[in-house]
Amino acid sequence: MMTVIIGGSGSGKSSFAEEYTQRISNNMQKYYLATMQVFGEDGRKKVERHRNMRNGKGFATIEQTVSIKDAIDRIKVPSESTILLECMSNLAANEMFWETGQKPEDDVVETVLSDINVLREKLAHLVVVTNNVFEDGIIYDESTMAYICALGRINRALTNMADEVVEVVVGIPIMIKKGN
Amino acid sequence: MKLVIGGYAQGKLDYVLEKISGGDMCARSKVVQEIGKNEQEVINTEEIVIVNHLHSWIRTRISEGGCPEEEIMLFLDKNPDCILISDEVGNGIVPLDAFEREYRERTGRILIELAKKAEEVERVICGIGHRIKERSF
Repeated sequence: MMTVIIGGSGSGKSSFAEEYTQRISNNMQKYYLATMQVFGEDGRKKVERHRNMRNGKGFATIEQTVSIKDAIDRIKVPSESTILLECMSNLAANEMFWETGQKPEDDVVETVLSDINVLREKLAHLVVVTNNVFEDGIIYDESTMAYICALGRINRALTNMADEVVEVVVGIPIMIKKGN
Repeated sequence: MKLVIGGYAQGKLDYVLEKISGGDMCARSKVVQEIGKNEQEVINTEEIVIVNHLHSWIRTRISEGGCPEEEIMLFLDKNPDCILISDEVGNGIVPLDAFEREYRERTGRILIELAKKAEEVERVICGIGHRIKERSF
């Protein structure tokens, strides 16, 4: 089963995603797949806040900033495990922006989706958190626009695959695609 | 307290005023854009207090080094039946500027706390409101 959870910055999507994952995974092993590359004070604070939030909720943390299909090798029994992947916006950025340059939008979309498929097929449940970066009405430079388009395409493909899609608004979950 | 959120220029205030007075605008309401100013006046009013552009007030208080998180709660203690209106500001690319990031994060967190306290939360798009509080699954 696959679930997508989407929300903006400071929407409460992470907190909801953790509660949701706890609820659906019952006694199964839960993994938190952290995709953020940590830069600077802001980044460290964010990691700290999220770690505190997860404390005592029974997640094992896997850090994997690119090639997320490799995370499967670090899971004992995938078919009895749940992964909470946070966050697709970071993963897409990491797959696109390299020290050596920027990868084309199409390649990023393809890589991310094929990796997601590997996880989805092997796991009992995959929960993907993604970010709504699409509503500030700003026209950015070409490389940022390519990123926005890539993330938009990824999100659409993910929600198409997903059994459930939840949007989180001011901490309130709104079901926008309901499982059977 | 009621919380009304939505994007820029979605008709949130008009929606609220329309709902309160059934078309007869401002009949029983008072619209303010700042909290902590003219407090006395606000407390003594018989009218429904509507705080419009709450996000702008939060932004101003952050830039002035204030603590909007505490100030809004003090305001609510004195005005438990008010209506708060705020833009949703987190649905974009994370800004490079540190102040802009802080503004979005803190506004988001404040709105989450307000939504928890609110009896009702409505989200307005194109002038149409949806009640989103107490949906559960």
